[in-house]
Amino acid sequence: MSNDAVKHDYHIINPSPWPLLGSLFSVVMFIGLVIWMKGLFGIEKTPVVFAGGLLGVLYVMWGWWADVIKESRAGDHTPVVQIGLRYGMIMFIASEVMFFVAWFWVFFEMALFHEHRAGVASAIEEVRTAWASAGSTDPNGWMPAGVEAVSAWQLPLLNTLLLLLSGTTVTWAHHALQEGDRNGAKWGLFLTVILGAIFTSVQAFEYYHIVHHHLFFNEEAANAGLYGSAFFMATGFHGFHVLIGTIFLLICLIRLMRGGFTPQKHFGFEAAAWYWHFVDVVWLFLFAFIYVIFGA
Amino acid sequence: MRIRRLMAGTAAVMTALAGALGAGAVWAQEKLGQPTDKSLGLQPGAAPLKHDAIWFHDVILLPIITVIVLFVLALLIWIVLRYNKRANPKPASFSHNTAIEILWTVIPVLILVFIAFFSFSLLRKYNDMPTPDVVVKATGYQWYWAYDYPELGVEGVESRLLPEARELKTSDRKTKPFLLAVDNELIVPVNKVVQVQVTGYDVIHSFALPAFGLKTDAIPGRLNSTWFKAEKPGIYYGQCSELCGVDHAYMPIAIRVVSEKEFDAYIIKAGGKTKAMIAAEEAAAAAAAQQAAANAAASADASATASAAAPAEADAAASAAAPAVQ
Amino acid sequence: MASNASVVHDHHHDDHDHKPGFFARWFLSTNHKDIGTLYLIFAIFAGLLGGALSGLIRWELYEPGLQVFVQGSLLDQLNVFEGKHGYNSVVTAHAVLMIFFMVMPAMIGGFGNWFVPIMIGAPDMAFPRLNNISFWLLVASFILLMVSIFVPGGPGGASEHGFGGGWTMYPPMSANKGSPGAAFDLIIFSFHLSGASSILGAINFITTIFNMRAPGMTLHRMPLFAWSVLVTAFLLLLSLPVFAGAITMLLTDRNFGTAFFDPAGGGDPVMYQHLFWFFGHPEVYILILPGFGIISHVVSTFSKKPVFGYLAMAYAMVAIGFVGFIVWAHHMYTVGMGFNLRAYFVMATMVIAVPTGVKIFSWIATMWGGSLDFKVPMLWAIGFIFLFTVGGVTGVVLSNAGIDYSLHDTYYVVAHFHYVLSLGAVFAIFCGFYYWYEKMFGIKYNELLGQIHFWLMFVGVNVIFFPQHFLGLQGMPRRYVDYPEGFAYWNKISTIGYVITAIGVVVFLIMILESVIRRRKAEANPWGEGATTLEWTLSSPPPYHQFSELPVIKDEDGHH
Ligand code: HEA
Ligand code: HEA
Ligand code: CUA
Ligand SMILES: [Cu+2]
Repeated sequence: MSNDAVKHDYHIINPSPWPLLGSLFSVVMFIGLVIWMKGLFGIEKTPVVFAGGLLGVLYVMWGWWADVIKESRAGDHTPVVQIGLRYGMIMFIASEVMFFVAWFWVFFEMALFHEHRAGVASAIEEVRTAWASAGSTDPNGWMPAGVEAVSAWQLPLLNTLLLLLSGTTVTWAHHALQEGDRNGAKWGLFLTVILGAIFTSVQAFEYYHIVHHHLFFNEEAANAGLYGSAFFMATGFHGFHVLIGTIFLLICLIRLMRGGFTPQKHFGFEAAAWYWHFVDVVWLFLFAFIYVIFGA
Repeated sequence: MRIRRLMAGTAAVMTALAGALGAGAVWAQEKLGQPTDKSLGLQPGAAPLKHDAIWFHDVILLPIITVIVLFVLALLIWIVLRYNKRANPKPASFSHNTAIEILWTVIPVLILVFIAFFSFSLLRKYNDMPTPDVVVKATGYQWYWAYDYPELGVEGVESRLLPEARELKTSDRKTKPFLLAVDNELIVPVNKVVQVQVTGYDVIHSFALPAFGLKTDAIPGRLNSTWFKAEKPGIYYGQCSELCGVDHAYMPIAIRVVSEKEFDAYIIKAGGKTKAMIAAEEAAAAAAAQQAAANAAASADASATASAAAPAEADAAASAAAPAVQ
Repeated sequence: MASNASVVHDHHHDDHDHKPGFFARWFLSTNHKDIGTLYLIFAIFAGLLGGALSGLIRWELYEPGLQVFVQGSLLDQLNVFEGKHGYNSVVTAHAVLMIFFMVMPAMIGGFGNWFVPIMIGAPDMAFPRLNNISFWLLVASFILLMVSIFVPGGPGGASEHGFGGGWTMYPPMSANKGSPGAAFDLIIFSFHLSGASSILGAINFITTIFNMRAPGMTLHRMPLFAWSVLVTAFLLLLSLPVFAGAITMLLTDRNFGTAFFDPAGGGDPVMYQHLFWFFGHPEVYILILPGFGIISHVVSTFSKKPVFGYLAMAYAMVAIGFVGFIVWAHHMYTVGMGFNLRAYFVMATMVIAVPTGVKIFSWIATMWGGSLDFKVPMLWAIGFIFLFTVGGVTGVVLSNAGIDYSLHDTYYVVAHFHYVLSLGAVFAIFCGFYYWYEKMFGIKYNELLGQIHFWLMFVGVNVIFFPQHFLGLQGMPRRYVDYPEGFAYWNKISTIGYVITAIGVVVFLIMILESVIRRRKAEANPWGEGATTLEWTLSSPPPYHQFSELPVIKDEDGHH
């Protein structure tokens, strides 16, 4: 909506159907989720409504971001608007960090104050004995009885290396892009996506292993439930973020292949890279605390 | 001049307010152990912790916050009278005064430090429980309480709202107060330190007794602890104080404080053993063991008669006290 | 503040303002003022609904014995809020409506949207489309909440509709044990959506304020309302995700067999309380900080004096926001924390009284020496300053763990938070509403009706909530559908106060109706020389897109 009388560089956006549609589909999606979990209004449990809502939400995301790319091509993303986008992305990542604080908080409470649980503070006999026997399996004196922790130096170490490597490949892609070496950028990005995909596969294999061999959830300990919950929630949400990051990077790769991005202007790519680094750092924390320090 | 008039005015208002508060206390004759209609302050205390809490509130906190509120009110009234556009058509334009800004930062800090001093000492008193004479365990259920005396061998005394006290019509202000009267009260001895261990069975409840200044959450999986030392025999009511479902308002707590003798009788009647009995048994057992180790028959006979005598005595006391414990 | 700034040039090229058609304008909007208006309408609607529910509460509590939430009553026949469970659902819905759908939308979505861009000299928000989804996600969230009311919630199944675990949603009351029905799953998703809405809004405000200030509008010249929204946005951004995490754990505990808060699996219900209050306490400052901003403007305008101690005012809010993150466990003194922890939270909590005191006294100093005009907004502002002080000092009482054992979960707490919310935040909202009414809607309200509205509300809410202090001191527990006779007298008075308040709210609606019918034409600046922020340099209502040419701010007296 550029107008001759407009003498500033901000981006005034035309009315858009996406927000309204997006929230409409969110309602469908969440009500669908409840129907899937519990059944509602006499409807039996079924994933159909949820799937419909989810498809709608994905459609809105597609349409919305396609609009953003169009506007960017049309030159609406002036330098000041780009700075705004940067602020936006940083703030979004900040809120994501706080999201992970919740999982870490639960984990630390469990890992650091387990002696308290074993003491008189617990009113449940089995829990008390379960926590009291903590340490029998581990010199750190904490791993709950009945839990067989995943060794940090096998698959998790591999995953750490994979992510660190992907951090370098994405930086390679960035530098290549800045220098106009589009081929290098494509290769860097391609490798990053592949590394991300391998990470997810390794993680999936590890989950399979844990579940298949009943490493966490078993009859032996009353508190294995909490350990397993905290473990899966923290690593699971991280895995989910890896997935999102991978898709984000993949879309950047596709845009790159189709001729998008210039050495001067490629914020979509940068945002994906920032997000990827954030996912990377969260993993380092998970690796350090859940697998190494409070692991086996 | 004006300032002095203002201060005189403030003082007058404050005296009036203090008078009103005092009058309020007289206006409503405060009951002990249950709420009094129309009353203005904390329920009167029947245990040291509550006396300290009342003192902290009535002597430290209430006067301070009242003065702060009245001070702000007085300033506002003054401004309204003095600086309305008719009285003061030309506004001043100042927007800084470092001295006063420092003052209104430092003075509140001092007030808060002053409050904290007393606050911490009260907190300490709550925290430092003397060695308990009696331990009771209170477990919150949806929607009643169950009491154990773990050391005395009495378990599972269920305490529910009396059906009569559920309805306004069938309740009785004196003997079966509405929503407060229960079938089995928690019986404790007077002037003894009672430790209450609190936990929840299903959801969170809260064990609260205003007259003793108690409120401790009954949380599933946790064992919390609080204590009191009741000063006077009588019946004291409290109510569950954590939302626990539809009958949250219908699971009162009633503590009946009795003499030590009556308490012992109650325990025995409930199938437990008094501390004295346990001590005697232990002593007897120890003595018996010793004697047995030293030499055999004659002395063992004597100790057997001694321990047999104790329950008989206690039985008599129990039947004497029976009406008191329903 | 930027009060004495001058705007170098005129900016009235509104002629090229072509507005989109009705549907596109109101449903697909990307205009901060239109979105602000939508938020305000939504807030009024939610306020009326929440106010009506509080009427049911007060009606039930008018005297001992069950009146409303009992078999055979009207609600029972309508199959909504039936029985004693219905009371708990009403209290929960009342709190959620008032906090998440009335105060937050009014202050941040409504006034924030309308005036933050204008005050900093920006043509719109940084992400206008995001702005719109913030609003519509709130509507989505509201729909889920409303649906939940008609869905089985409690363990009683079909006879217990809606979620009745209070707005704090503590497990196991909110776990399968206490609320097995689908109602609470809907509430969880409702909070996810409103949380997403607020986080996106927060990102938008922070970006707008950091990136779109007009030339010369430094942070230290920025009006205090913009400052207050900036601090609020940070609180939202950093506290809401933790809350989202907490309720997600509730969701998985309920539906996927995790054991975060389930003691039988080694978890701990108290863990949830920590997570909740880590969000919940900053949340209460989220509710009040924008109000602080509004009050500063109104007090300065109607005293015809610049705000006293501008920088101290701005940084007091920053301090309140910061300390607000490290005091959360003062809501949990009775859960069995250790002595040192409790002592720490006592001290940290009391610290907040200091920056808040700085604000109270600076407002008073702003008025001191001024030439006060008691127009309706100023009445609300003065009412706010006094009543917020009352609510604040009772907060200081509660912060002392030793006395909180007697007052926690009693009506003393209810009185405290209604003084800061219903008499604090709501007064600030009405204050802002009257202050900017002409500016936003281009019509004048009726001064007399406004004054009547103020006095009725002022008397009404005090009669409702002052006696609740007495009830709390006597030990009346909160969330009680019925109570012993010892609490009868003050409850009756409180309900009478509600009637007065309700009449006040009706007068408020009449005020709006009257102004809409009469359509008295608004002035650009009805308040005169005292009103110095940028919105008063624009027409009323402002052009559809303001500042097509950015204003340049020069600090004339340069005293900041
Ligand atoms: C707008 C919302 C708001 C605000 C601003 C506040 C402000 C404060 N609150 Fe409040 N509070 C709530 C909303 C709010 N609260 C809610 C909703 C609950 C209940 C939640 C629930 O359980 O459902 C609650 C509960 C609550 C509790 C828990 C009670 C309990 O459950 O047992 C406590 C305890 O510490 C507390 C303390 C405080 C304090 C110290 C302040 C301070 O910020 C107040 C500071 C202000 C002043 C002190 C006045 C002005 C200062 C001066 C004039 C200077 C001089 C003063 C002194 C030296 C004292 N609040
Ligand atoms: C902002 C928050 C807010 C507001 C305004 C109110 C307003 C009122 N509240 Fe409420 N209340 C809460 C937040 C609020 N409350 C919370 C958090 C709880 C705790 C819930 C729990 O325990 O889980 C609670 C609980 C609560 C209880 C305790 C219930 C119990 O524990 O059993 C009671 C009882 O009297 C009560 C009464 C009232 C009354 C009579 C009003 C009256 O003041 C209502 C009069 C109406 C208004 C003041 C609204 C008018 C506003 C508008 C019409 C919007 C205007 C908008 C614009 C101009 C843009 N409330
Ligand atoms: Cu039990 Cu409330
Ligand atoms: Cu708080």
